[in-house]
Amino acid sequence: MEPATISLHMSNVETIPGKTITASLGLVTGSTVRSKNVFKDIGAGLKNLVGGELKAYTQLLQEARNEALQRMMMQAHSMGANGIVNIRFATSNVAAGASELFSYGTAVVLE
Amino acid sequence: MSEVLIVASYILIPVLVTLFIPLTSWALGRWYQGRLLRALDGKEKQQGSLLMSGNHLSTSSPMTTMSASSSTLLHVSICVGPSWGQMFFMWLKSLFGGRLHSYDTVLDFGRREVLMRLNQQANELGCASIVNIRIETSVISFAKNEKSKQSSVEFLAFATGIRQ
Repeated sequence: MEPATISLHMSNVETIPGKTITASLGLVTGSTVRSKNVFKDIGAGLKNLVGGELKAYTQLLQEARNEALQRMMMQAHSMGANGIVNIRFATSNVAAGASELFSYGTAVVLE
Repeated sequence: MSEVLIVASYILIPVLVTLFIPLTSWALGRWYQGRLLRALDGKEKQQGSLLMSGNHLSTSSPMTTMSASSSTLLHVSICVGPSWGQMFFMWLKSLFGGRLHSYDTVLDFGRREVLMRLNQQANELGCASIVNIRIETSVISFAKNEKSKQSSVEFLAFATGIRQ
């Protein structure tokens, strides 16, 4: 379970450009639920005084999305795939103060 | 005369006090967001050739016409929110309905910024083209209670970058 060493070909189109798919292994998913950090939230609340980009939230969601991707990659890796195609993302508010970041795709074997 | 003044001040002072915070926030927000938009204009001009060209940036996946050596998944997101003042005036405006101009500006800024960053990421990873661009919008509320005034919108842009 060492996510940093996994390297897969990923794309959100039907193929991996420049490669040939030899087998399709089915759906892989990865998700993570994050809640805010109270201290960062105070900062973001103050930032709402002027509006614009809320950097604390941008960073939080980016980290969470990377984690969801990593989980999906680990799942694909354990199935013996070396690529994921047709990746999609979904974000939903599951509870007050928490968001779920979800990513899914099709695991494939490339030549 | 003095009675009129006293009565007037009884009405005026609370109104001014109530409006003080939204007005300050609105004015500060307008100034700050104007600055952000100008910075974005500058950055877009710098990489203008990439953003304008239909070959490089597309929402379809014309794989057959393109030679590719390798590809990578690109994804960027940004959270933007209106200022308290804008929210207050939006609430006033929503009594009558119609176009919410200040919200337009915030959302437009977020979408342009996220596309600009997607472009930047593609450049950093050495991609010549970006295909199958998708932009998703979702409302993010990390507020614990429903009545909280905080609200923010997340824009997520993802695409496949192609190296030639």
